[in-house]
Amino acid sequence: MRPYVLTQGRTKAPDATYALEAQVRALIAASSMSRTTTPEARRIVGLCETPVSVAEIAARLMLPVGVARVLVGDLVAANAVTVDVGAQDAANDVALLERLLDGIRAL
Amino acid sequence: MESALSDRLQQSGFATAPRGRSVPVAMKIVVAGGFAVGKTTFVGAISEIDPLRTEAEMTVEGLGVDNVGQVEGKTGTTVAMDFGRITIGPDMVLYLFGTPGQDRFWFMWDELARGSIGGVVLVDTRRLEDCFPAVDYFEALGVPFVVACNLFDGVATHHPREVREALRVPANVPVVLCDARRKSHVQETLILLVEGALRRAQARQGR
Repeated sequence: MRPYVLTQGRTKAPDATYALEAQVRALIAASSMSRTTTPEARRIVGLCETPVSVAEIAARLMLPVGVARVLVGDLVAANAVTVDVGAQDAANDVALLERLLDGIRAL
Repeated sequence: MESALSDRLQQSGFATAPRGRSVPVAMKIVVAGGFAVGKTTFVGAISEIDPLRTEAEMTVEGLGVDNVGQVEGKTGTTVAMDFGRITIGPDMVLYLFGTPGQDRFWFMWDELARGSIGGVVLVDTRRLEDCFPAVDYFEALGVPFVVACNLFDGVATHHPREVREALRVPANVPVVLCDARRKSHVQETLILLVEGALRRAQARQGR
């Protein structure tokens, strides 16, 4: 099946274009989703029970990033997941960089 | 109910996670360089997961950039990127994204660089010119970067000083030797990058 069949040909997420590293978190349990839900939607919600990135969703489902974005956008619209857009300006955020530096040193 | 419980826990001295803060902040570093220079090895040496591969299609992601619309009926070029993840703590996660092997996929570089802390340019000193596009890119973008000369077979073929001179990178850009297979080397390279990013952020903050 061609990947964009899953998105009914849509190539843009309804909301913003989520960053590859944007964290997606489930708001519902995958097991609570209706029987008519697509397997992909169910798998995404299942993956996001602990937050994962858009890139990880695409990789784990073996879908192009563009398709994963559209599907995540649908799940956001359905209040099934939420996307954290993350730090807007991490490169200039001293506190975040200090935290990151400490973290890498401690690895 | 839940907030009442949370209030009681707080009153009794139990720390509770503030609502809506359960998602870690995602940080991103770009690992660039020429084809087969060891980017995925570099990422894999420090990532807590085996590097994952994700694909983007140029027809979708690069519209308006590469003007693929002119080629009627052409199926999209697929660009693959490998990436890894490092959990810094419950509040922060770091992603390392390798750039696609072919440097001509600029649209993907922009996507990768957006919001990133900076870049690592991995260099094979036997094919130095392969890293020129990556160096040019980070310089033009004005983001911090580190040049890491990959020690293939653990052997340094050139001194970092020679590489610096050949690349003409500014003095504030570290040039280091790095065995991309060794976690400690990769870690040290990332530390240099983040230190540079931190110094720059502090300077901009004026403290």
